[in-house]
Amino acid sequence: MLTTANDNVKTLAGLQELFGSATHDASAAMCRWTDGIITVTLDEVRQVALEEVAVELAIGDEAMTMVVMTLDGQCGGGSIILMFDDMNGRQLAASLLGREVGTDPEWSELEKSALMETGNILGCAYVNALTRLVGMDLRPSPPYFIQDFGASVLQQALMTQAAVGDDLLLCDIAFRRNGGKLDWRVVFVPTPGLQESLERSLHAAPQP
Amino acid sequence: MATTTMSATEETLVGMGQIAAGGPPKKMKAVVGSCIALALYHPRLKRGAMAHIVLPVSAGRDGTPGKFADTAIPKMLELLKELNAPAPCLTAKLAGGAAMFGSSGPLQIGDSNIEAVAQSLRAVGIRVAGQDVGGTRGRRVTFECESGAMIVESAGQPTKTL
Repeated sequence: MLTTANDNVKTLAGLQELFGSATHDASAAMCRWTDGIITVTLDEVRQVALEEVAVELAIGDEAMTMVVMTLDGQCGGGSIILMFDDMNGRQLAASLLGREVGTDPEWSELEKSALMETGNILGCAYVNALTRLVGMDLRPSPPYFIQDFGASVLQQALMTQAAVGDDLLLCDIAFRRNGGKLDWRVVFVPTPGLQESLERSLHAAPQP
Repeated sequence: MATTTMSATEETLVGMGQIAAGGPPKKMKAVVGSCIALALYHPRLKRGAMAHIVLPVSAGRDGTPGKFADTAIPKMLELLKELNAPAPCLTAKLAGGAAMFGSSGPLQIGDSNIEAVAQSLRAVGIRVAGQDVGGTRGRRVTFECESGAMIVESAGQPTKTL
């Protein structure tokens, strides 16, 4: 776990690099899945105080459409949450399905499936990249489709970190279309076990 | 962090592990999933406190008092005492404790939170006047110091007033 302020800065920079590499792979997978339309970039790996999480991530109190995947492995795991407002989620589903944006208040099974598959592809790309980068096996869960308050979902994903400390580590990832940032996001929350394994692998890596 | 105010601030957002306390016209708001929004209220004096409880027991772990059920309630009583609202006559309302990823999903903590809050309230003899707990939906909770009402909104569900 992070200790002194100096260690903290170094470790966050190392994790930024590591997740940057994993995001590069995830972006390539996303680009293939969306026919070159959508990519993802790592905005920031950051530490946020427990009570400030929703404010820091600008997650308001409105209902959102989300796909959640959990990762599990011997050394820990984490959660990946794709977050959209309803219209943006439907636009992504429509573009993947090659259809007009749905107008029925209820999402069709096909729309849900398109969004869950997006989560699956993104999640598996992160799993594969992290497995390769740090040499640990991670298994992804099936994706869950959830329409609920973003803060409610995020807080459950944060439980394992909250159990051991008040500063939470999060990776904030942005979607881009033709280079422009979209109002969609992915939040990756590693468990303390995975966080420690990642930090150990950083310290074990040869220094330049 | 705990806040006690009697200002004209209309609405205070109570983040994870925080406690807010005050009187009218204050409203305290929290969005909870597996966490619990717990309000203690003195109906005659119209003084209330709300905690956003994250985990059931502190077990000696560091953290803000509002983070754990067993430390949040003593801190809330302390804050209400500072507002001249003593423990006798206080009632409790609570909402949250959901299993956001389904009842068979990972990271289950909602039920333990509900039980721990109920146990801690019993230990100090505070009656539960209303609750909306469990299930698989998140809740947007607003507690009004003027009326003592706890308004609970869930996505796609009718609003409840406790």
